[in-house]
Amino acid sequence: MRLLIVDDHRSFRDAARRVLESAGFAVVGEAADGQSAMVAVSELRPDIVLLDVQLPDIDGFEVASRLTGKGHAPAIVMTSSRDAADFGPLVTQSGARGFVHKADLSGAAIGALLE
Amino acid sequence: MRSLGRALIALAVGGLVMGLAAIAIILSSHHMSHRGTWAIFGAILGWSFIGTGLYAWWRRPENHSGALMAWVGFAWFLSPLSFSDNEAIFGVGLFIDAVAIAALAHLILAFPSGRLATRYHRALMASGYFSAVVLQLPALVVYDSAHSSDCKGCPANPFLISANDDLYSFFRGLLNLSAVIVIALIAREVIRRIRRARGSERQVYSPVTYAGGAALVAFGCVFASVVVGGQSATVLQFMAFAAFVTVPYAFMGGLIRGQLSRAGAVAELVEALGRTDDRRRSLRDSIATALGDSSLSIAYWIPAQQAYVDSDGQRVELPAPGSGRIATPIERGGAPLAVILHDEALSEERDLVRAIGGAAALTLENERLAAELRARIDDLRASRARIVQAADEERRRLERDLHDGAQQRLIALQLNLKMATASLEDPEAARAMIDEAITELSEATAELRELARGIHPAILTDRGLDAAVTALAGRAPIPVELRALPRERLDAPIESTAYFVVAEALTNVARYSQATHAEVEIDRDNGRLVVEVRDDGIGGAEPQRGSGLRGLADRVAAVDGQLRVTSRPGAGTTVHAEIPCAR
Repeated sequence: MRLLIVDDHRSFRDAARRVLESAGFAVVGEAADGQSAMVAVSELRPDIVLLDVQLPDIDGFEVASRLTGKGHAPAIVMTSSRDAADFGPLVTQSGARGFVHKADLSGAAIGALLE
Repeated sequence: MRSLGRALIALAVGGLVMGLAAIAIILSSHHMSHRGTWAIFGAILGWSFIGTGLYAWWRRPENHSGALMAWVGFAWFLSPLSFSDNEAIFGVGLFIDAVAIAALAHLILAFPSGRLATRYHRALMASGYFSAVVLQLPALVVYDSAHSSDCKGCPANPFLISANDDLYSFFRGLLNLSAVIVIALIAREVIRRIRRARGSERQVYSPVTYAGGAALVAFGCVFASVVVGGQSATVLQFMAFAAFVTVPYAFMGGLIRGQLSRAGAVAELVEALGRTDDRRRSLRDSIATALGDSSLSIAYWIPAQQAYVDSDGQRVELPAPGSGRIATPIERGGAPLAVILHDEALSEERDLVRAIGGAAALTLENERLAAELRARIDDLRASRARIVQAADEERRRLERDLHDGAQQRLIALQLNLKMATASLEDPEAARAMIDEAITELSEATAELRELARGIHPAILTDRGLDAAVTALAGRAPIPVELRALPRERLDAPIESTAYFVVAEALTNVARYSQATHAEVEIDRDNGRLVVEVRDDGIGGAEPQRGSGLRGLADRVAAVDGQLRVTSRPGAGTTVHAEIPCAR
């Protein structure tokens, strides 16, 4: 499975790449804000996007809505260091497959959401 | 004042002597009819002008109308010279015959201030005097008075060069025409002024303008009737002189009415202040009524703000010159109390405005205190809102700093440690991950430390201002000299306010000042803690614009202190705070 990581913190992107690659995902790219995430999705055509909620330019939920609105949309997994409960119904409304807390990130957690 | 009095007495004596001389000339004349009537009428007219003029001059020396009035009287006494049987005196009289009418025009045009207001008015008056004196000359050199039909029994004209009746008629006509034009132009200006006048100015002064204007117009008609070929009509002449003689009495009446209305206005105001319930509204209304200016407003001096505010405590800018409004300051015990903002038309009545203000001083003082209180309440309300806003902003910043900093590092650390656990069978990989985790951990700790210090420095709580400010100076990127610091502990709110004044000031020094050196001085002085941070940077800081310095001012104000920032461009910046500190 080809995966794109979108997060504005380099330390998290590094750790997430290590975790997910060891779980067998192919991390095809990284993006640090919403705008470059949209560009990367259209260029790299990943199967999964691990998308941080809080990005410096466009809100993560807005990015998710725009990506899922198109044909051949990748599966989107939202992530944050905040609790899912903090976001209420926004995760499902955005068209994302689900939410993984950053601390709980693992190949299995992503896999469970994709089933 | 005494020398003015002496000068006026001398002028009065001069006027008396000139009047007597005029009577003597008229009574001894062999070329005029109704000598007795003219002698008495002329003397009364001249003395009336001189008497009222000198009185007005004495009462209101700053106003030039009195002097002009007297000048009309003196000029009037010059005209009987043409009734003299003496050739030389007769000649001079012919020459300056019309000066009195020009002087009357001058008085009317310059009324009520006695000064010609515009360049146009000055030009108009210059041409008036020119046509009254210099334009006489061409007619005089061809005028054979000794053989003239309209001057039976007149002595010879000393200016005569060559007699020519046609030329004389032509020059006389020209002279009268120019007089008619000048009078018409002056009348137009006077009518414009009457239209513009309002309030007390119109009430008190219009009789002079009407009487003088009527006299001028009648003289204009006399001149005009000569121009169109007729002889000057006796009825018109009579009307002109009749209006002329009323001018000084109208002037006197206006002066007395002005004084009476002034006394009446003050008395009415005092009475109104005594019976009023809704003081704030009726103080302004009472003063507006007393001065006859409904547009009037009052602004109170607030020493703490060094500014004027209205009765609601809102700041008031004083009117600029030429705006049509004037601010007359009212003082109490030598200290500024308020300004009365009124129409420019009252500029001649500023004594009255001050008298009214003086009568209302006690009420104004009460109003000033109330306005000061309202201004302080407004300030407090605004600063309270800013403090709440600053606290919200601070919480948002903390959340963001925690989320973006330590929290992200701890999450990465957690993920790395999980990975390390999973890779224990590969010790090299596990070691690399644990090393990275240790780096993340130490950076997270440093960030948390910095954050905690920003919230409240532990060293300030534990060791006091001396140690905390010393530590602050040690962390600054430029040399900071500590001139004085209090050794003893102070109340916690005072210590933390002083600390944050120094911290914010030094942050600004580092960020904006381009300074190479700064000084910090904290001293106790007469129940206050005086905190001062100076730098040698570029200056030009604007406390009203930056949220940091304004927030600091609010913080200092919250403990009843005051913050002052002096920052002239190129002269460095000084942040000076004074905080009440009893202990």
